[in-house]
Amino acid sequence: MRVKIYASGYCNFEHIDDDGFMTLPEGASVNDVLKRLGIPLLLRRFRFAAVNYNQAKPGTVLKDGDVVSLLSAMSGG
Amino acid sequence: MKGYLGKVLKVDLTTGEIADETIPDSVYENVLSGIGLGAYYLYNNIPAGADPLGPDNILGLTSGMLVGSGSLVTGRWMAVCKSPLTGGWGDANCGGDFAPAIKACGYDAIFFKGISSKPVFLHVDDGGAELRDASHLWGTDAIETEDILRKTCRVKLVPKVITIGPAGEKKSLISGIVNDGGRIAARSGVGAVMGSKLLKAVVLAGKQRTKIHDPAGMKAYSKEVGAKFKQASAPGFIKGSAFPVLGWVLSKVKSVSATDGMMGVMMNKKYGTIAVNTMGLPNGDSPVKNWGGSVKDFPLRKYKKLNPDRILDRKIKSYSCYSCTIACGDTCDISDLGDGKIEHTHKPEYENCCSLGTNLLINDLDAIFLMSESLNRAGMDSISAGTTLAYAFECFENGIITEEDTGGLQLRWGDADAATRLLEMMIAREGIGDLLADGVRVAAQKIGKNSEAYAIHCGGQEPGMHDPKLDPMLGVHFSADPTPGRHTIGAGNYYNMISLWQEVSWAPKVTKYPKSQEYIPSDEEALKSVALACYKMLNDAAGGCFFALIAGLEHWNLFRMFNDTTGWGLSADEYMEIGKRIQTLRQMFGVKHGIEPKEAIMTGRVMGEPPLESGNLKGITLPIQEMVSLHWKHFGWDENTGVPGQESVAELKERALVH
Repeated sequence: MRVKIYASGYCNFEHIDDDGFMTLPEGASVNDVLKRLGIPLLLRRFRFAAVNYNQAKPGTVLKDGDVVSLLSAMSGG
Repeated sequence: MKGYLGKVLKVDLTTGEIADETIPDSVYENVLSGIGLGAYYLYNNIPAGADPLGPDNILGLTSGMLVGSGSLVTGRWMAVCKSPLTGGWGDANCGGDFAPAIKACGYDAIFFKGISSKPVFLHVDDGGAELRDASHLWGTDAIETEDILRKTCRVKLVPKVITIGPAGEKKSLISGIVNDGGRIAARSGVGAVMGSKLLKAVVLAGKQRTKIHDPAGMKAYSKEVGAKFKQASAPGFIKGSAFPVLGWVLSKVKSVSATDGMMGVMMNKKYGTIAVNTMGLPNGDSPVKNWGGSVKDFPLRKYKKLNPDRILDRKIKSYSCYSCTIACGDTCDISDLGDGKIEHTHKPEYENCCSLGTNLLINDLDAIFLMSESLNRAGMDSISAGTTLAYAFECFENGIITEEDTGGLQLRWGDADAATRLLEMMIAREGIGDLLADGVRVAAQKIGKNSEAYAIHCGGQEPGMHDPKLDPMLGVHFSADPTPGRHTIGAGNYYNMISLWQEVSWAPKVTKYPKSQEYIPSDEEALKSVALACYKMLNDAAGGCFFALIAGLEHWNLFRMFNDTTGWGLSADEYMEIGKRIQTLRQMFGVKHGIEPKEAIMTGRVMGEPPLESGNLKGITLPIQEMVSLHWKHFGWDENTGVPGQESVAELKERALVH
């Protein structure tokens, strides 16, 4: 399945294609995404990922077409 | 006519004549409404060389194409004029509930020219428009004036009111126009223009509705957008104390990627703009000590007092503008502050906290609350006022201004009492405050003594409180926008959130790139800055809010909403051409009035000349001249002068947009 990923500059983009998607096996969870993005185990327990704009636990199971967004530190305001 | 009324109200304050003027459909088709309509009208009706505070200048109050269409987060009105602060194109916008009130009176905009012989206000309802005496209101602060007019002019509806405060009456070049109890269209000196016309206020009480092409389509889309915005909420572990860490993380990031604009919505829902208060120190976003310092001068032990949670401790209720579901504003209790006469105020924006705080090394939040409220009531721009205070403090530090000049006031960095007193003097135009009330450029011209180096401005206007050395595209827009110094046109950060490349064929696509790329002038970076400027013009023609804009196309799509409203069925590329046309018209306005765009290219310490000696941005100097040249080139303007090329001008003539 393909999941749209909004990562941040601190992530590993190796598993994200040019259109911003990550291909994952069926049954994959948010934790699998975070792992592929290189987020350390200790940080994964913080709920800084959202799935389809709802806060998600690391164990949240994903489905094809989901949007996973990571909190990013941004300037502006 | 879908989404617009096709008519504007013209008011000649010299003669008292009030008349409708029909605007051809072709104008809306070429430049939409809002800022586009304003640019069209002002370009063709203000004679070259007009005195910005004289009778020939025109003050326009515009609504937007999407206002009243059933779309969400599209409730901003705009003031347009020849700016007395820069001498070129001036605009400022604000939320609240005034934008729909313009259309409810049957107009897309109201344009004022001339100068009244006595203070007046304009009253419009379904029975017509008339000028009424405002002599009894002259000298009254903006919030009180609004309260009085809402009560005294109420028939059935509570009318919608905009007004100037004492700063506008005294023609302070950094004054704005106020509505909704202290919100302010602050920039460009629009308040001074209104004050110069002796126009105290505008009161609207119409009931007309705006028709659109596809109400069902718009309703469905708004339901979708509203649901997304409603469920967006910041993670629980995001607290004010976490922002310095987030800022530090941002300072270490070496790569940049496309980001989800909904994250910005989450932050704005919880905090509004003040999330940046403490995040902006470790990464260098926030200017410190009149742009000459860094976090080293204002370390964590000092700046932590600006923690946004401390501001939210005073929150009474959330506030949202017309049609907004983000609700970034809050009303705060300040009844225990000052003399206790004022019970509540709008939550200070980040710009206030930085310009009246960080940039002056002040961490007294109570003082910032009170100074913000004073500015709201006076109708004075907090960015410009704070920057002017910082200029005065640095002049004092270097002996250019002395106690003799200030009436015994010692202007020491971090002294909130001194800042508060000097601000009072600026608002009242008392003593040295009279000299400072027109912003840093005018002050430096009058004071001289090489104080120009401390006068931070772009083409006369003080820039927003974001350091372009962190996000160079900000520097391009500070320098190259026809209203220079604006922080809400574009930045690399915003580009990566909006994802224009999803629909705009020529907008460079972003997945991930090295942060260092942003510091190198290139066609790709220039195309990004051009794309943002064009999209921002569409936003300002729509009456849209910047905080919805940066949610990104996936969540708030202007192109879709325009087509639901107008039925034109245009592509994103075609709309972006409209945005480009509006920007060119604004640039041509400045050129017509003698502006040399290259003179507004910002130099000095903001661009790293000399570079900062400490902090995250130390050692950085931006190649801003080259960046701006490329930006102009991709607009089709002369890359050396910024003057629109013959082809651009010919296109506007062909479309009958310039006469």
